[in-house]
Amino acid sequence: MIAKWIGKRVIMGTIVLIIVSFLSFFMMHAAPGNPAAAYYGGNAQTLSTAEKERIETAFGLDQPILYQYGVWLQEALQGNLGYSAKEGRPVATIIQERLPNTLQLVVLTLGIVAIASTWLGIQAGMKEGSLLDRGLSFVSIASSAIPPFWLGILFIMVFSVQLGWFPTSGMKDVRGDGGLVDRLYHMVLPLSVLVLSHVGVFARFLQENVKAENHRYYVQVARANGVPERAIRKMVLRNAIIPYINYVGVTIPSFFGGSIVVETLFGWSGLGQLLVKAVMVKDFPVLMGAILIIGVVVVFCLFVIDVLMIFLNPRLRRGGIV
Amino acid sequence: MFKMENVTVQINEKFILNNLSFTVPKGQISVIIGESGSGKSTTLSAILGILPALATVEGSIFFNGRNLVALAKQDQAALRQRHFFTIFQDAANSFSPTQKMKQQLYGLTALRMGQTMAVFLAKMKRIVQDLHLPDDVLERYPFELSGGMLQRCMLACALYLEPAVLLADEPTSSLDMLHQQEFIQQLKRLHSQLETTVLLIIHDLDVAASIADFILVMKNGEIVERGQVTEIFEQPKHPYTRQLVAHHF
Ligand SMILES: Nc1ncnc2c1ncn2[C@@H]1O[C@H](COP(=O)(O)OP(=O)(O)O)[C@@H](O)[C@H]1O
Ligand SMILES: [Mg+2]
Repeated sequence: MIAKWIGKRVIMGTIVLIIVSFLSFFMMHAAPGNPAAAYYGGNAQTLSTAEKERIETAFGLDQPILYQYGVWLQEALQGNLGYSAKEGRPVATIIQERLPNTLQLVVLTLGIVAIASTWLGIQAGMKEGSLLDRGLSFVSIASSAIPPFWLGILFIMVFSVQLGWFPTSGMKDVRGDGGLVDRLYHMVLPLSVLVLSHVGVFARFLQENVKAENHRYYVQVARANGVPERAIRKMVLRNAIIPYINYVGVTIPSFFGGSIVVETLFGWSGLGQLLVKAVMVKDFPVLMGAILIIGVVVVFCLFVIDVLMIFLNPRLRRGGIV
Repeated sequence: MFKMENVTVQINEKFILNNLSFTVPKGQISVIIGESGSGKSTTLSAILGILPALATVEGSIFFNGRNLVALAKQDQAALRQRHFFTIFQDAANSFSPTQKMKQQLYGLTALRMGQTMAVFLAKMKRIVQDLHLPDDVLERYPFELSGGMLQRCMLACALYLEPAVLLADEPTSSLDMLHQQEFIQQLKRLHSQLETTVLLIIHDLDVAASIADFILVMKNGEIVERGQVTEIFEQPKHPYTRQLVAHHF
């Protein structure tokens, strides 16, 4: 039963990834510019037409796009992501170097955002009309209205340039050992930007759910019968957290989106930065590989959310859906 | 022991309860009857201190000689918590959908008395058996139980707590005939076991007649007639009561 359910998810996830990769592939080729440019290195000017054609033929760039995609997909399904058009190194190796950096950033952000927004959301939601309740609604709107790149630039200006507390960019100090402390120190600013641009919206979402839940019939019954407030809180949170976690699930792609901006701004050598660089030089194999891997991570996160839902919602668990 | 004196409740300048006075006889089953919108639920809310925030309350509600309305919020809550238990109309929505009955009944009873889960389970298992609830009822979720069973779970709480006052707002109107009968029988049995003072709101006059000792007839936020069940049903005095009873039989 469970194997069947998981099997279904895997198939669905694969289909989603194929669709995403298909769309990415076609959008890339629809963009202006020559996909062969990355293979020329810095020598576009000096290469003869014949040499350019030879490069195109060698990398199959003269074939129809659909065919090119087919070849890419066939290889990708076998785990071969090809070679970087710019660096000539295997895409898989490049991604392997980059992925952990992005995951560190995103997972830490997600953790902090989840804990902080849960705490804020329930505090504010349970005390309707309180300063926190009204304040959070305001702050959340403000925080979601500030673009992360702007916040990032502001942070660099204030905390790095003026105060000199944190490095402007990079992942380790040139003199540093690259250890955990050094890494965390470099992570403070990018992490803060990512956290601040997400935490308000998440807290607000939970806050609204907590409020709605707090007005439900069963809560009135419990309250009228003197059930201790901490038990009521637990009950309310237990129900309000279900749509919240679903919301976190559908928002996970936005964390990766945010990390593209933040990584570029702070010189964090993760997948986001890689993506931007790959777009600049039209390094399509790297671009496709990075998109695919981010897709896999997102699909995996959604799978985890689905499992959590079943764990949290007894109707799903006992209703025979699994 | 339980008495309303000149209780007036207004919401948005509108009189919902108008100078309401009545005494609930100790150890008896009293039933409030009356048409929808006459203020029955509001009366209960006033007793329980759960009126909407914009409602204003005047008058006194005495319990054991103490005026609930005059007490500080915490003291009111503490008093009600110790001595009252209330069953509401909508059984299916009276419980959180994501917790087992065990957890929720524990919260409604033993937790506030500072008892452990083990103590609770030992006593509650006997009670649910007595009420002919399924053996595994405590391990189930609310959606795995019928409305009748859920309402009997509320009764189980009352049996556990042995409150001085048991209140219920149309506890049977969400149940089918069979479950109504069953619930009423068990409520009667509970009453005879615990000698609790019971105040019920009941819409269905058949059901009211089958359980009540004492009847209060309510209309437009006032009690228009009160008396022993036989008086009310056999010699109604107020025109409104006559009309109610005539329409019924
Ligand atoms: N929260 C509220 N706000 C405004 N009016 C209310 C509110 N609750 C009840 N009422 C009004 O009070 C009157 C009595 O309602 P209620 O006590 O629920 O009657 P019953 O239980 O007898 O059907 C109704 O006219 C209803 O519209
Ligand atoms: Mg009512």
